[in-house]
Amino acid sequence: MMNIKRVISTIEKNYLINNLKREKRIDGRGLWDYREWKIKSDVITSAEGSADVSLGETRIITGLKYEVGEPFPDVPDEGVCTIMAELLPLASPLFERGPPDEQSIELARVVDRGIRHADCIQTKKLCIKENEAVYILFVDMYVINYSGNLIDAGGISSLVTLISSHIPEGKFEDGELQWTGRYLTGDMIVKELPIVLTFGKIDGMIFLDPSLPEELICDGRLSIAVTENKVTSIQKSGSATFSVDEIKMLSRKAIDLGAKLRKDLDLWQYKTEY
Amino acid sequence: MPLVIKDEYPEKLFREDGKRLDGRDKYELRPIKMEVGVIPNADGSAYLEWGNNKIFAAVYGPREVHPHHLAKPDRGILRVFYRMATFSVFDRKRPAPGRREKEISMIIADCLEPVLFLELYPGTAFEVFIEVMDADGGTRCASTTVASLALADAGIPMKSLVTAVAMGKINGEIVTDLSGIEDKAGEADLPIAITWFNEKISLLQFDGDMEIEELDECLDRARVALKEIYEIQLQALKKKYIEIQEEVSGGNVKNDEH
Amino acid sequence: MEFDEFNNEEEEEEEEEEELEIPPEHEIIEHDSEGIEEHDEFDEFEDEETTRDLVVPGEVLTTDTKNFIPGRGTLLTSDGSKIISLNIGLKQIKKNYINVIPLRGFYTPHPGDKVIALVVDKNPVKYKCDINAKQLAILKPKNTVKRGKMRVLKGGSDQNSLTTNKYQIGDILIAKVISADRLNKPELTTVGKYLGKKTGGIVISIDPPKIPRVIGRNGSMIKVLKRLTNCNIFITQNGRIWIKGDDIEHERLLIDAIKKIEREAHTVGLTDRITEFIENEKRKRGIK
Repeated sequence: MMNIKRVISTIEKNYLINNLKREKRIDGRGLWDYREWKIKSDVITSAEGSADVSLGETRIITGLKYEVGEPFPDVPDEGVCTIMAELLPLASPLFERGPPDEQSIELARVVDRGIRHADCIQTKKLCIKENEAVYILFVDMYVINYSGNLIDAGGISSLVTLISSHIPEGKFEDGELQWTGRYLTGDMIVKELPIVLTFGKIDGMIFLDPSLPEELICDGRLSIAVTENKVTSIQKSGSATFSVDEIKMLSRKAIDLGAKLRKDLDLWQYKTEY
Repeated sequence: MPLVIKDEYPEKLFREDGKRLDGRDKYELRPIKMEVGVIPNADGSAYLEWGNNKIFAAVYGPREVHPHHLAKPDRGILRVFYRMATFSVFDRKRPAPGRREKEISMIIADCLEPVLFLELYPGTAFEVFIEVMDADGGTRCASTTVASLALADAGIPMKSLVTAVAMGKINGEIVTDLSGIEDKAGEADLPIAITWFNEKISLLQFDGDMEIEELDECLDRARVALKEIYEIQLQALKKKYIEIQEEVSGGNVKNDEH
Repeated sequence: MEFDEFNNEEEEEEEEEEELEIPPEHEIIEHDSEGIEEHDEFDEFEDEETTRDLVVPGEVLTTDTKNFIPGRGTLLTSDGSKIISLNIGLKQIKKNYINVIPLRGFYTPHPGDKVIALVVDKNPVKYKCDINAKQLAILKPKNTVKRGKMRVLKGGSDQNSLTTNKYQIGDILIAKVISADRLNKPELTTVGKYLGKKTGGIVISIDPPKIPRVIGRNGSMIKVLKRLTNCNIFITQNGRIWIKGDDIEHERLLIDAIKKIEREAHTVGLTDRITEFIENEKRKRGIK
């Protein structure tokens, strides 16, 4: 569509809304359809896990690095996983240089919460020596092109990165950390596959996976993370309000659409053999 | 605490069969792939894989300058931002840009400026964003090379492309295109870039120790390598268009000669 | 007083009714005597003199500098030995000029250009508009109202011509560039035939250098597009195209056709291929 800078033209807004009223989206999708997913895993040689994920024209490259450190005192036998996001200025004329702003922090935190509460990462497997040494995983997302709905793309990107991981297995021998020659791989570290789905709302109409013009115009968004049969996190953003019925409807939709996406993407295929 | 696998380098950088550790001959380049137009939002963009290096470059401009006080009333400005992803290196890099990245940004800007006509765009800025997603030696040279492609892809008038390569000396031998290990464990590294319209050097650095004759040899060998890389740049720039021409004409592309 | 009010009403009514006339078959192309070379672009893609030789910045076009003169998009090297290309584009030889028709590039405003402008900011004395150029363009209120319609009496449109009430942020305007130079922000006017605010339809953007291809030689391409998709189309120099069709399916088809033109602008036989494309797609998508 038009080169979108910070101002959306009234024409575009009206066009989008008028068509949405007829349940037509400007790119031809249905209200509950995702754009095309493209996924490549283990693409970064310097990283211990990585993914290059595109959702429509939104593209995020994620990589995993590890450090060995002391565990948190209240969970002495558990490793840690932190998620970070950077909205690179090369990804959009709307992004500015500088430290992570609200949008990148929201992306990181929403993706993080979707994964954290879903029994996804088996943090006990990330323990080398209780009380002394655990793995600290850094999952860092870099937005390469922004075209709406960073959250869902980020969620899949982080998940595939973890699934593709191959972290050298360490053991203490004579007080020194040695490599056993083996690796901790995605199937050891990841159990559940939480999917986060984002719905946009414009003028009362709700739809899945906002594209860029839809996202810039929408009054609000609701992101719901689900496993096979549970809701694991919800985030509402923007000034729009949702009725209780709408939230109930969307939670059910999220479970159904999440299951469909899990099946379509077949995420376990991205496991690396090490 | 240390990582499980340590970052160690062998002393011998040549194998028994005389080849370098990755199987290359002394003056052989690593495999290089380039592609333009990879970031739809940018005015111009390019992606490069050079050995294990994976680098994106995107150009925005000419556009208004922020902060405004940096704008020049009589000419445009060129700003380059070279950054590395945290996972691009063996030991995770802190997310915030460090001094090395800032230095390299400046060097690349100085290197690209001679081919642009900044005086035609007063009060505006060209911004080049370089993001290294995977690093393995010679990143500033690879970045310069891919940035120049991105500028051309943006349709910005340029006197020519700019090409760069990292020459070096390992185990006493002058070699072309240092890999990461060779860069860290070798005796000298010499990143060098050329602007083709006047065949002059626009980026030059050197670290290590070399005799004068070795330096001469290094510079001579560089020229050969730069020409090879330049051919790859040209192909990448034209590829998209030629493919479309072939696609629509069923393989018969008339090429007028002059 | 009564007289004034009557006049005011009349004035306001007139302004509300200001519906944009639908422009005729071929759009725009007003030649300024100064800018003739620029506007010759319109034929250039299908010119005999344009080769299909793709050239890139720095590429040597000729070393025969005695017989050839560097034209558009080229440069004679300082030692006079060769003419090189400055752009990525198609090599063209016109008489003894060597030109390069660029395939990529940003829009540079010239006086007389018709542009689609987006109002992005305004203050009491001027509008700031995005015209897809390196700087925002300025639209002054006096250039939004026809001269001679100003009333000197208080409460009349005199106020209107001095304030920025007419347009809002987010409005799409068809405007004309009245001044543009290296150093100052370009200035626009919305007074004139076909100029003013657009209220329906949708605007898309393509690479500005490809705009001539969407028009075609003597409007051949735009005629095909209009006829086959039954849409209204307004093409402007700054890479933007306003379209309005019977329904979203026709509009989407037109957008796809325009994107295809953009992609294949440097090839031959494009008009026929686009005709074929639209007809095939109509069948595939089940639209008339």
